[in-house]
Amino acid sequence: MKQTPEIPADWLAEFEAAARRTLEQRMKYAFIHTYKPVLDDAKYRAFDTMADYRKWCEENLPSWLGYGRV
Amino acid sequence: MAAFEYRQAEEIRDAFARNGVRYLFIGKSGAILLGFPDTTQDADLFIEKSADNARSLISSLRELGFKLTEAQAREIERGKDFVQLKDGPFDLDLVFAPDGIERFEDAWRRHVNVEGFPVCHPDDIVASKISANRAKDREGLPRLQAFREYWLERNKGT
Repeated sequence: MKQTPEIPADWLAEFEAAARRTLEQRMKYAFIHTYKPVLDDAKYRAFDTMADYRKWCEENLPSWLGYGRV
Repeated sequence: MAAFEYRQAEEIRDAFARNGVRYLFIGKSGAILLGFPDTTQDADLFIEKSADNARSLISSLRELGFKLTEAQAREIERGKDFVQLKDGPFDLDLVFAPDGIERFEDAWRRHVNVEGFPVCHPDDIVASKISANRAKDREGLPRLQAFREYWLERNKGT
């Protein structure tokens, strides 16, 4: 394994392991689906600006989903 | 709704290529295409914001099975910064003006081709996460930045 001092060893091991997988395998492990309240309750949403979207998230989504700005 | 699959990414790639859509995978889904080992729920696409590109995008989305009404199609064509689709074969977030990236053209110039998938450069993915400054992004940012370092080292000279 290549030594990259600034990257923690456990993360580096994960990156190296992922690099050995095919793209199809990486995607199979990466994409999951869980229900997100409110966010998943509409089939279509569109926002004129990203600021409008961020504001909507902060005002409507449960904070624990993590969509609020820090 | 099942999780997004490789086959569906191929369908996006092929439909968008047929219709000439200018786009890039961005966000964590883009990082995953680059090799970042993590989990996510949706595919995020950075779409070039122009009326022509929007029309090509709408044709592609309909080919893929997204049920867009005429009113929704017109709305996208007129120009939105963010569209969330959950009425198709998979969930898709369409981002026309991602935080932290000035112009599509700049991101396109830096983009990475991963087995035919156009993906934002890791610098742009990290920049957009920093700029969005959401709690969920902040938590995973140090690991994503470490992956960026790893990716740059691994792809040095290519």
